[in-house]
Amino acid sequence: MKSLRDLLAEARQVIPEEGPADVQRRLRSGSPVVVIDVRDPDEYRDGHIEDAPNISRGFLEFRVASAVTDPSTPVVLYCQTGLRSMLAARALKELGYQNVINLQGGYQKWVQSGLPVVRDAPMTTDQIQRYSRHFLLAQVGEKGQRKLLRSKVLLIGAGGLGSPTALYLAAAGVGTLGLMDGDVVDLTNLQRQVLHTTADVGKPKVESGTRTLKALNPDVNIIPLPMRITVDNVMDVIKDYDLVIDGSDNFETRYLVNDACYLAGKTNVHGSIFQFEGMATVFAPNQGPCYRCLYPSPPPPGLVPS
Amino acid sequence: MQATEAVKVLLGIGESLIGRLLTYDALGMRFREVKLRRDPKCPLCGGAPSITDLSIHKEGSAACEITPGAARTEGALV
Repeated sequence: MKSLRDLLAEARQVIPEEGPADVQRRLRSGSPVVVIDVRDPDEYRDGHIEDAPNISRGFLEFRVASAVTDPSTPVVLYCQTGLRSMLAARALKELGYQNVINLQGGYQKWVQSGLPVVRDAPMTTDQIQRYSRHFLLAQVGEKGQRKLLRSKVLLIGAGGLGSPTALYLAAAGVGTLGLMDGDVVDLTNLQRQVLHTTADVGKPKVESGTRTLKALNPDVNIIPLPMRITVDNVMDVIKDYDLVIDGSDNFETRYLVNDACYLAGKTNVHGSIFQFEGMATVFAPNQGPCYRCLYPSPPPPGLVPS
Repeated sequence: MQATEAVKVLLGIGESLIGRLLTYDALGMRFREVKLRRDPKCPLCGGAPSITDLSIHKEGSAACEITPGAARTEGALV
């Protein structure tokens, strides 16, 4: 089996590299050149070379034609440190692009060389006002707010625990909230499940939840997932999120969420409540215990109320 | 509480509840904190895990049945 080092060495034999200053000269010279950022979109939003379109490595072969119309045009690829883009460059070369160059040292070296970069579009006036109290907090600030706006959190359960959590996260400007719940609103829910109103009785919880959260903060992209989490959908659902909030009301789901989050490397913010007592903890894979470290297997059905 | 923890984890600030269980008793209005340790024999994240995929969650799997070890909480709590 080939090691990563072997792959990179092979790629270097066919792909020339240029340092930031040389690439900048190309850009300034006015001769045709296309620079492509092959990093993930969140890395790109943090800052990139001006005029470089973002085509993530995974989509490069599919979308490169939209950026490079003539296969003889020099194409410069870059990633964060110059490794991913080296492999990407080789793939482009194999596709038939004749003049593919790797930016040696990647974006990191570009920044270190003091060359210009552009960052996310400035926040709107409304956003600046809305999040102004966050800007006053040294640990959050504008940078933290941008990070929140780029973050994706999955809420499992839009009930007693999910309701307040979803409201606070939407208010704080967490950019994407997945709201997963297969239930409809019942009158008995309303004394604690504050996402829903009397008029919502009988409607799916994710529908009323989406409306409430959108009304609170239109900045937030709410993804309604009107279904129960199951062994068949859990991995596919959680893969899109940075963090999972377990607000479920039964042991079966808690074990499933715990196991899936551990296997997928996702942090799971766990909460549970029974009558007047509640508990909360955070399960971060390999940084601390998981739910099974506390309770290796589920309790017998009927022994503990869910 | 879960929202605050989520924001802290997302921003990488403060001290999260990783390795700590916070319990809340509303009637007594008391918070209690319990340190949690990783279980080296944990079937999921231990040194020799028996759970390496989600197959135990499939219907009819033995995992949904009960094993006598369910009440190991006390041992895990420090």
